[in-house]
Amino acid sequence: MLAYAARRVAIALALIWVVATIVFLVIHLIPGDPAELLLSQGGVAPDPAAVAELRARLGLDRPLLSQYAAYLGALAQGDLGSSLQDDHAVATELIRRLPRTLELIAAAGLLALILGLPTGTVAALRAGGGADRVLSSLAGLGLSIPVFVVGTVAILVFAQYLRWTPAGGYVALARDPVQHLILLAMPAGTIALGLGAVIFRMTRSAVLEVLGRDYVRAAEAKGLAPTRIVLHHVVRGALVPVVTVLALHLGTLLGGTVLVEFLFNWPGLSGYLVRAVEARDYPEVVGIVLVISVLLVILNLAVDLLYAVLDPRVRHA
Amino acid sequence: MIRPTRRSVLVGAAALPFLRIGRAHARTAGVLTFGLSSYPPTIQPWANAGTAAGTIKLMIYRGLLGYDQKGALRGELAATWVRDGANAWGFKLRDAVFHNGEKVKSADVKWTLEQIATEKSTAYFRTPMQGIDRVEAPDDTTVRIVMKQPTATLPEWLASFHTPIIWRKSEGPQPIGAGPFVLKAQERGVSLDLEAFPKYYKPGLPKLKAVRAVVYADENLRVAALQTGDVDLIEYVPWQSMEAISKDAKLRLDAVDGPFMYLVFNGSKPPFNDPRVRKAVAHAIRRDDIVKAAFFGRGSALAHLPIAAESAFYNPELKDGWAYDPARAKQLLAEAGVAGGFTCSFLSTAQYGMHKDSAEVVQQNLAAIGIQAELNLPDWATRVSIGNKGQYDMAMMGTTTDSNDPDGVANLIDGSLSPAYVRSFGLKTPKISELLAAGRAEFDPAKRKAIYRSVEETAIAEVPLVGLAWRSQGYAMQKDVTGFKNLPGALTFFSGTTLEDTAIS
Repeated sequence: MLAYAARRVAIALALIWVVATIVFLVIHLIPGDPAELLLSQGGVAPDPAAVAELRARLGLDRPLLSQYAAYLGALAQGDLGSSLQDDHAVATELIRRLPRTLELIAAAGLLALILGLPTGTVAALRAGGGADRVLSSLAGLGLSIPVFVVGTVAILVFAQYLRWTPAGGYVALARDPVQHLILLAMPAGTIALGLGAVIFRMTRSAVLEVLGRDYVRAAEAKGLAPTRIVLHHVVRGALVPVVTVLALHLGTLLGGTVLVEFLFNWPGLSGYLVRAVEARDYPEVVGIVLVISVLLVILNLAVDLLYAVLDPRVRHA
Repeated sequence: MIRPTRRSVLVGAAALPFLRIGRAHARTAGVLTFGLSSYPPTIQPWANAGTAAGTIKLMIYRGLLGYDQKGALRGELAATWVRDGANAWGFKLRDAVFHNGEKVKSADVKWTLEQIATEKSTAYFRTPMQGIDRVEAPDDTTVRIVMKQPTATLPEWLASFHTPIIWRKSEGPQPIGAGPFVLKAQERGVSLDLEAFPKYYKPGLPKLKAVRAVVYADENLRVAALQTGDVDLIEYVPWQSMEAISKDAKLRLDAVDGPFMYLVFNGSKPPFNDPRVRKAVAHAIRRDDIVKAAFFGRGSALAHLPIAAESAFYNPELKDGWAYDPARAKQLLAEAGVAGGFTCSFLSTAQYGMHKDSAEVVQQNLAAIGIQAELNLPDWATRVSIGNKGQYDMAMMGTTTDSNDPDGVANLIDGSLSPAYVRSFGLKTPKISELLAAGRAEFDPAKRKAIYRSVEETAIAEVPLVGLAWRSQGYAMQKDVTGFKNLPGALTFFSGTTLEDTAIS
């Protein structure tokens, strides 16, 4: 077991190194010069000497290989570097922004479960009936409406028309918990709509499948109450694939909440990444992508190790 | 279980408007919330970091000179300024203090100007300020700037938000200025909190207690935040929302034609090294279509050099210098030996709608005279890089001039300057360069006007750029916000200076 774990950890570390290298190379190879861009803001021509000076100050005039070596050296010491724009430490900004995106994703996941799980179960139990048809069409709608349309309509209705919430923004939980949750509701709800539809479909098909299983029939034959069968036997059995799908989607949301963060002015990780790419802020881009991939690698590592715990055959494979 | 009937649904829908919760906008008396379009990448005093940074800089710093609400030069840290000999300007400082309580002295001015011009400088005005021969500070309140050559435009440069005066012993990341507001806190990417500076040198100003600048990068959300009362004032009003805002009884729109769109060329190779071909392009564009397509009618055609009609240097007889005239365009192509047209690359960017939309109109117009322009629409960063390297035949650009002085166009048409994406690549304009230099050295207003008239005439013939359209640049605010003013023309991005007069009644 220990050897297996060590092997998996080594592979994970190698993966992180590969990701760091690829991201570093790709962002440096695409056209665009951070020093030039910073001094060209607003469509003005910077003084080439000023650009050259800034480039030298930022260390961008060194050969790529030497920049790469310096970057890896710093990374090995846990230093993600600092922004090329204002010298702000990348790690500090990541620590501030990552929890916001994680919170948004968690809230959206929870809402999606609340939306999708009961409705999916009901639709499966009444498969082919009126409720199933209505719910299934609604889910189809939820899946097919792009997130920016949902968000824009939500802002129009809840912020501009009903005035229940501000149009967007962010207030720290410590500063004003109520306002924090109000501001979280719209972006989380917007993501949850599409995600809820996915969970609905997954739940519906999983429940349908479980309903046909022998043990359900046995439970019915035993005379158990229908509610008890559904809650304890059917839904529990159907949960495994639903949770797998949810986890997959939450993983992709880590860097994929760009539109929602932009739309609702939620200062999370995705918006940070987009602005970093736009400004060609190399340390920021590499730092953000690295953190996202480390999180995904850790997630996969945990799953791998869990498999090994659950199934001894994996350890010897 | 109540079954939803058509009637209950309709009744429910009709009741919805009454469900509005009168969520009082959490306004603190004397605190203005300003919806910015982007978070300033840096607020270093002398480097150019865009217009949002400019607005913040105009709150925390002041230069020797500045602009009043009509766009005229006025003294800021300098009470008076006079021409002092052929090459020099004299300034008398007023009684002002920096945010740390230190008096603003001539030594600070001298130090600032030297920092801007130093070899290690990344300042926007580095090259112009290298035209300074020496800065004399005979006493604490007198400054004499001696230029290497006569320079009529020095006051305009010193009024820029890129040339604020900084306390000479500033250390650390935040240089110390003498503006009406003090930067108290900033949450990177989200907001900046500024408080009134009680010892600001203008008595009674600033009128506000504090300004909270919050970034709303999405233009529609910025407008929504204004409409819901989350913010009091926004910049960069999107053109499509101007109509709705000006009709809203609670809001006020303040828009001016300041920035503009134009075309630049690669003059280092055929076909655009021939002025006749460039002029053919200039006559082929239906400019009203650009104003309609890209700016929802919020702007106006620009068929000459970008010198505004309000300017004393405007030449009404030249205003149609590049007017739409497809027959003339075809004739010019024939004269240049490319009567059958040609194919060329056309650089713009997909990142900004106005750049893309304007380029598409130009592309159609050029097709009508036989020029097949192949659009290249990379992201902005790539577009800047390609532009600086001249890897294009023709390119779309949008900007403002540095000031309303006609020398502000020099940056765009002077072919003796270094290659840059804002001007044509490899296009030498010796006559224009010479005239521009003469204009900078001339102090007599009538003679200056004659010089810039020649500049415009020459430009219309040689076509170092093609003017396309003025675009409206708007601020919008709640009706009870007073004193904020969108400064005219190229100074629109200096409007942050009026935040010192701004109040919420």
